[in-house]
Amino acid sequence: MNWLQRHIRPEQVRELSLLLLIIVAVLVFGSLIPRYYTSLTFNRIASSVVIITVVAAGQTLVVLTRSIDLSVGSIVGCTAYFAGTQLAAHHGMPPAVAVLIAVALGAFMGSLNGVLVAWGRVPPIIVTLGTLAIYRGILIDYSGAKTVTTDSLPAWLVDLPTVDVATVGGLEIRVVVAAALLVVIVFQLATSFLTVSRRLYAIGSNPEAAALIGLPTQRILFTAFVLSGALSGLAGFLFLARFGNITVEAGRGLELQSVAAVVVGGVNIFGGSGTIFGSMLGAVMIGTLEQSLFRLQISEFWRDAILGLLILLAVASDAVILNRLRLLWARTDLKLIAKSAPLPAREGEVTAP
Amino acid sequence: MTGERRLKPLLMRVWEAEGVSLTEGGAEPRAQAAVPPILEIHDIAKRFGATQALEAVSLTLYPGEVHALLGENGAGKSTLIKIMTGVYQPDRGEIRLAGQPIVIGSAAEAQRHGIAAIYQEPLLFPDLNVAENIFISHQGRGAVTNWRQMFREAEDILAALGVALDVRSPARGLTLAAQQSVEIAKAISLNVRVLIMDEPTASLSAHEVTQLFKLVKDLRDKGVAILFVSHRMEEVFEIADKVTVFRDGRLISTRPRGEVTPRRAIADMVGREIGLLQPRAPVKQGDLILSVRGLAREGVFHDVSFDVRRGEVLGFAGLIGAGRTDVGLALFGIEPATSGTIVLDGKTRNIRSPREAMACGIAYLSEDRRQLGLSLPMSIAANISLPVLRRYLDRFGLVRTASERATAEGFRSRLAIRTPSVDVSVAKLSGGNQQKVMLSKWLNTHPRLLILDEPTRGIDVGAKSEVHAMIGELAAEGIGIIMISSELPEVLAMSDRVLVMREGRQMAIFDRAEASGERVMTAAMGQALTGEAA
Repeated sequence: MNWLQRHIRPEQVRELSLLLLIIVAVLVFGSLIPRYYTSLTFNRIASSVVIITVVAAGQTLVVLTRSIDLSVGSIVGCTAYFAGTQLAAHHGMPPAVAVLIAVALGAFMGSLNGVLVAWGRVPPIIVTLGTLAIYRGILIDYSGAKTVTTDSLPAWLVDLPTVDVATVGGLEIRVVVAAALLVVIVFQLATSFLTVSRRLYAIGSNPEAAALIGLPTQRILFTAFVLSGALSGLAGFLFLARFGNITVEAGRGLELQSVAAVVVGGVNIFGGSGTIFGSMLGAVMIGTLEQSLFRLQISEFWRDAILGLLILLAVASDAVILNRLRLLWARTDLKLIAKSAPLPAREGEVTAP
Repeated sequence: MTGERRLKPLLMRVWEAEGVSLTEGGAEPRAQAAVPPILEIHDIAKRFGATQALEAVSLTLYPGEVHALLGENGAGKSTLIKIMTGVYQPDRGEIRLAGQPIVIGSAAEAQRHGIAAIYQEPLLFPDLNVAENIFISHQGRGAVTNWRQMFREAEDILAALGVALDVRSPARGLTLAAQQSVEIAKAISLNVRVLIMDEPTASLSAHEVTQLFKLVKDLRDKGVAILFVSHRMEEVFEIADKVTVFRDGRLISTRPRGEVTPRRAIADMVGREIGLLQPRAPVKQGDLILSVRGLAREGVFHDVSFDVRRGEVLGFAGLIGAGRTDVGLALFGIEPATSGTIVLDGKTRNIRSPREAMACGIAYLSEDRRQLGLSLPMSIAANISLPVLRRYLDRFGLVRTASERATAEGFRSRLAIRTPSVDVSVAKLSGGNQQKVMLSKWLNTHPRLLILDEPTRGIDVGAKSEVHAMIGELAAEGIGIIMISSELPEVLAMSDRVLVMREGRQMAIFDRAEASGERVMTAAMGQALTGEAA
């Protein structure tokens, strides 16, 4: 126990238990659904998880600062549609340029959120609820209710979801999966090691102290929203590649899913703690549930209800279980400190209570 | 202890790494007369609305010196600290650092100048680990965090301080004393030249205070100038080299410790014209209303015992945070007492909620008028009827606004509430009139015991004397009154008896004849009344 406690923090216990929960879920579904352990199931879950993961990575950055970004679903829709129309019009456009267009548009939309939150001092839930509606409205107007169709897109994009980079034990690792993993790894490393990104945690952990010690609070908030927008843009491109047919409804519901992934993944909704890796596990959990419940022919409405239940459970367990864990850790710490450095005897002084 | 043995070389290493010259600290412990001052505050003034918070204050801090700052609540200590840390800008005056005039525009700038502050409640980031907290505001540590190096440096600094803490564990859950050690480590790592400590010992146990003082003395011996604010006289006289007293925004005296006694310092703190307030004419006191014995709320206040009679005003004096408001909250059932007895009109009561307190005839006027005392957007009439709304309901459960307004009109003329109509929203009234509305609201519950928490805070002089007159009338009508006030002259003028609290304990109860400004303040500062040591 002591050894474990010295090497693992309470927050990491949370992530490990989620990993365990995912394995249990897979085992349960495997026993309920015939032919569950196939590469088909894996690919279905993976392609759904990929989009949620990328959006959730951005959402994590925002939630860490004690904010929330509800406009991500609309940004995914807008960027998917816009990139789709551009590719339909210019078949010769290099893939990198198409990705860049989606990311840049997303970053721009995120920057509007950032300006309003950081300098306008409007609460993030209000700002992004507003831009959720506005961006969707702009998309509907811009599209004229027309749909981007698979036939209009260049062949390389339509084939993209089925391109593999490697095969591991009979499972093909798709390009899109590799891209999402890359995003997770890059942002996980950045949030662990970049001085700038550690300030995201500081702001969320104690905003008053952050302001008092002179951290550039507004700039950091702004950056978080821009990155969330940019990653939603990337997700928009992945969305386009996955579905091909983009309607004005594209990406709707991703705000709920991304917040769910973040919260289930152990990121504190009040900011300050959590990891990108945890959010990815949250996204995997949600994707697994969604696809498996679909295979069990449970209706879409029940699936949403289960998602909601999962969020509530995650928040409740955050409050109860994590506090218990922290207490347990703190007690062991005290014992260790007491062992290593016994308090000097008090010299006849009156002890305050 | 290993930390002890390693103390000197490690501290020096830290200082050297931060580019501090070690020539003026170290071997020579105390500031000599020849040492030039590090921080000179010259003729600073600051005004907030009608309040002159600071007026012509000049203070000089020397390296290697602990300078204590004393003063009553509202004497201007906090304002000065906020000016020194860049939170406020002074209206007038000059600040010089090592001879150079500087402008402290923000908290970050104060840090760059080597001025840091440690507060009673440390400002740490609970989710970040100890090492990150120490180095959080460092600018030049590079874009990529080298965790290994950061942990090692943090460990070095803490070891040099003789503090055993796991630098990898999050700051959440550290004791206050440990958090303060982290704050000090932070200040050291920032190459601090002037360290302000604002009541750092208020929440510490005696043992923790001893450890903190060891750190303070180490810093002083290293040539840091320390401005030490505390309400605990014995601490001030243990650690300070100089003692400065503030009163009403002015600097009253600065003396070397050897030339000042606690008695002298207290005299400087309270020595204002108390004759400004007319003492209230005493009322013939009636039967016992309230008798409190051994009242306590665990961890907040202990062993408070007193009586209140009909027509009596019992003043509660003490410094902010002494636990006076907590006693009021316990009597009114908002934060119920955990032990002790409350006897009201001869019956023992166990008050667990404001509803029960009101049923017993207790009313409590909060010190926070705007947040807790009134519903600002609502009308005067609606505010006054709120606690006893049931009285104003017709048989369909709807509010009879006519009778609501009639009650309000009654109070409006009785308390001289200046307003065009009782339908005006309370937010539009002046502070004094808001206070009168709050008083009306609670008088409307027909209390037998009225608890007034800072009844004249933030209201103008005219309204103040009206409120005072009102308190006198209410007492004359036979209501028992507990008046919590941080304004010493007010307590002395209004009270039949004065109960003094300090750090959650009842220090003394003085009769009107015995209660003097010095006696009350002496008890509030925790000094023995007789046999005072110089």
